[in-house]
Amino acid sequence: MKAAAAVPKWLGRALAIVLLVIVGSTVLVRFAPGYLSDAREMDSRYADAARAELSHEAARSRSLPRMLVSEMGGWLRGDAGLSRQYGVPVFELIRPRLAVTGGLMVRSIALAWALAILAALVSSAGRNPAAIWQAPSTLLLAIPTAAMATICLLANSGGPVLVMALLLSARDFKFLHRALRKAWLEPHVLQARAQGMKTWRILRFHLLPSLTAQLAALATLSIVTALSALVPVEVIFNVPGLGQLAWNAAMNRDLPVLLAITIIMALAVTCSGIAPQRADEWRNA
Amino acid sequence: MRLFRWLLICVSLILAVILADLCRAQAAPRKPGELVWTIGYDPKTFDPAKVDDQESELVRYLTAGVLLRFNRLSQKVEPRLAESWGLSSDGRTVTFKLRPGLEFSDGSNLTANDVAWSIRRVLLKDTGAPVAEEFVSPGEVTVDSPDAGTVIVHLPKRVIGIGKVFDEIAIEPADRPSEGRVTAGPFVVAEYRRSQFVRLRANPHYAVADGAALPYASGIRLDVLENPEQEVRLFERGQYDFIAGIPPDYFELLKQKDPASVRDLGPSLNTEQMWFNQAPSAPIPAWEKSWFQSRGFRLAVSQAIHRADLARIAYLGHATPAYDFISPANEEWYDHQISAPHTDVAAAKATLARAGFRVNGVALQDSAGHLVKFSILTNSGNAARMKMATLIQQDLGALGMQVNVVALDFPALIERLMHTQDYEACLLGLENVDPDPNAMMNIWLSSSPNHQWDPSEKAPATSWEAEIDRAMDRQATTMSHAERKEAVDRVQQIVADEQPFIYLVYPNVLLAVSPHLKGVEPAVLEPTIAWNVEDLRLDGQR
Amino acid sequence: MKINRSIAALLFGLALIASAVVLAPGASYSRQERDATFAAASRQHMAGTDELGRDRLVRVSAAFLLSLAGAIMASALTTAAAAGVGTLAAFGPASVGWLAMLVCDVFLALPWLFLLMMVRSALPLTTSPANSAAITFLVLAALGWPACARAVYRGALHLKSAEWMLHARASGLRSAQIVRHAIPNFFPLLLPQFLVCIPAFVIAEANLGALGLGVGEPLPSWGGMLLELDNSAMLMQTRWVYFPVALLIVVLLLLDAIAVEVE
Repeated sequence: MKAAAAVPKWLGRALAIVLLVIVGSTVLVRFAPGYLSDAREMDSRYADAARAELSHEAARSRSLPRMLVSEMGGWLRGDAGLSRQYGVPVFELIRPRLAVTGGLMVRSIALAWALAILAALVSSAGRNPAAIWQAPSTLLLAIPTAAMATICLLANSGGPVLVMALLLSARDFKFLHRALRKAWLEPHVLQARAQGMKTWRILRFHLLPSLTAQLAALATLSIVTALSALVPVEVIFNVPGLGQLAWNAAMNRDLPVLLAITIIMALAVTCSGIAPQRADEWRNA
Repeated sequence: MRLFRWLLICVSLILAVILADLCRAQAAPRKPGELVWTIGYDPKTFDPAKVDDQESELVRYLTAGVLLRFNRLSQKVEPRLAESWGLSSDGRTVTFKLRPGLEFSDGSNLTANDVAWSIRRVLLKDTGAPVAEEFVSPGEVTVDSPDAGTVIVHLPKRVIGIGKVFDEIAIEPADRPSEGRVTAGPFVVAEYRRSQFVRLRANPHYAVADGAALPYASGIRLDVLENPEQEVRLFERGQYDFIAGIPPDYFELLKQKDPASVRDLGPSLNTEQMWFNQAPSAPIPAWEKSWFQSRGFRLAVSQAIHRADLARIAYLGHATPAYDFISPANEEWYDHQISAPHTDVAAAKATLARAGFRVNGVALQDSAGHLVKFSILTNSGNAARMKMATLIQQDLGALGMQVNVVALDFPALIERLMHTQDYEACLLGLENVDPDPNAMMNIWLSSSPNHQWDPSEKAPATSWEAEIDRAMDRQATTMSHAERKEAVDRVQQIVADEQPFIYLVYPNVLLAVSPHLKGVEPAVLEPTIAWNVEDLRLDGQR
Repeated sequence: MKINRSIAALLFGLALIASAVVLAPGASYSRQERDATFAAASRQHMAGTDELGRDRLVRVSAAFLLSLAGAIMASALTTAAAAGVGTLAAFGPASVGWLAMLVCDVFLALPWLFLLMMVRSALPLTTSPANSAAITFLVLAALGWPACARAVYRGALHLKSAEWMLHARASGLRSAQIVRHAIPNFFPLLLPQFLVCIPAFVIAEANLGALGLGVGEPLPSWGGMLLELDNSAMLMQTRWVYFPVALLIVVLLLLDAIAVEVE
């Protein structure tokens, strides 16, 4: 019952987020410097064509309320409009890229979690000094994502998934290590160990369940980190995904494309927070 | 023990994902005989009449059949689809004789009718073709085709360099515009994957005079790739055949590994320059405007800049100090007699003192006591420009000027330069694709929106700007080449005296060319390597 | 939670050395020795010079004091804001929590890049590099909190149903008192967040250089030095480009070890 009631509540929340994101992004992009200018204006050969396009856009975006209403109306009808830089429907532009980026995210998050959980289990259980584990994870955090990607290119090995996964696993590890360290020292685990329970059983029945409580936070964190790393990774590795498109759209002030990407990101973030929480509730019910 | 098994499974899973990832980072496979290089962004259009960006222009260059081609190496106009062409003595009638037996890539015949239709389409207002502007008043141009092999174009007024204009007009089948799918040029557009590549294939009906089966290459793939890092890597692996316009640091990197793979062609036609905002309507303090409008101030700045250091440090030696808007690579128009202010810090200080500035401690002040403090804008993402700005910051610091360097992304920068005029000084480059100074009309005419230091003046603000206007008009209307040269030389001298643009360097043309690519005869003009695309081929091919 | 004194002393010592290097007579982070670009390490330039012939050691030291101080401050601010919002949302009425998390989600998705552009266009172009750096770090702090706030919120909800909390409530503690006891329990959540934010902010500051914000020339920016690593031509020039990143790792490890959990 509880789960059934949660669905419309979640849908309402998602709708509210989408509308707020549309308003927020439109205002931010429309009033950002350079919305009505184009690099081609400087080139005498192309300046006239560029100015014609700009005056058309200026007429469309003169009144903010009207612009907001038309954007929101479009989205409610399921029409995201035409891309400003490519002149093709936004959905047509996004669909192939969504699959690419989705695959990249899923694979790198899966790999990152496997790495992070494994490392955290070993590091929190063992008596080895924390620095052995902290040093590599700190190293991964300190190197900019773009630099990591460049080093991969230079070394001629590794690709976008590896770079994203390394970055994510370093962040996740930082959280998991502390959480697990606490869990190992909880009284019931200590007692189980003293009674000679097998490590595998302790893991299975005491530690991993205690991790699920952290999963929601971890999922949000992973998604947010992955989204922020998408742009440099996709740009440097030339992956035809959403991050690359988002960057192009931002640099060309392509509002319809940016809106679509922002909405997708907002929904991804929301779902990441909701899904594990629901799973938790259902398991407990 | 089970823990170990579990760990083993995890580790092998991780390895599997990593391995799968390793195999991913590859460019699309190359077809036999196909040339591959990169473009920076998606072409905005494949319609040759509507080209309004650089990458679309490249695709047009590779695919379009044109009456005349401007040879980028000899810098002469040569007939292509036309067998011969002529200009009447008043310069107002152009007559083309077509070659016999011309065909489009689909095998259909190419006649004067197609040519006339294509030229008229470009001239029509509804098409919105940027090339139409070059006819000055396109609405009044008429095109006749008295017989299947002749086309006559009547111009209302003489147009400088009319031959070159036809280099930009693609001849398409009449009433069947195809966006590059049916052409009379060496290649046709075969496949386009947005943000990935444009694939062209050779035109089997491409007509060449001496009967050789051109083009040599079976096709071309243009990968959309913005990142020089990836481009250099894939070039080294042999996946790209050349890189045109490689940044100096990567040029040096490739040179270290294989000196034979890179070429420095010397100064390009492009300039890097700095200018002060002299617009009276600019939202900056009045005293700053009076500095920027003072010739002495601009001259002193120009004298204080160590251009040799800019070329040596910011471009690693792959640039040439510049004092003039015409590059020495442009032999026909470059004025060797020009006298321009050279680097001399003591002279700069004296010039400033004469203009009423004085040094108080270490800081420079104007006659009213305002500290000389301003910002130089530039675009972000250009490492060489950023380094030049930082070097200039120190050079001007030696005069007591306090300079801020601010990098903005292009749209934000253009908004300040073209719309709000809210900036003090700017450091940018200018790309010249045409060696004829007539192409720079928009920059020098005081009424033009691209007259950067004070755009769209209602009347020339100073006597020297009025003189530039007159000289530019003179070179555009006179029939005598000597008089044109004299007028352009005069403009060069005024610009050197008044320093509205402070020229810094001419970046060199830097190329990386695979040893497997044959038939390369690089030109300074765009498209540097691809200009003779018919002759380019890979090793061992034919 | 207590502070490891010897590690704190070590960090303080590093800062002292950096100040000494910057303030040493004759040291300048902006002087360009144009005939000695990419010079190797020597008695005069202990870590060589950079691409414009500036002393690398002095620049790294100055950036250490400037960027790191800025990033640590911004990180502390953003973590505090996250802790505040997270606990408030968890211990306040349910509607407040719902609303706060909604705001967080929207906040996480909005393209703040454009806000930063607006900030830049609102500042005069002659804003001094130091002011521009300070403003950049403040804006970063103002934008960084939502991800962590969500984590804190979840943790706090968990805590709310913990036994000792029920006890505390049953024995009539006021919510202000309860929150005071709850906060130490968030440290395992907040500390990693704080540490993760530092390098992220250092790098974000450098990325904002592309928008005209951040630490302007000629002031040295640590992030700017880290970004040199994404240019392979630079990586091949000199090994010294790895120096800033190595130092950053040392500092982060020290910061990580400074707070020792009482076990």
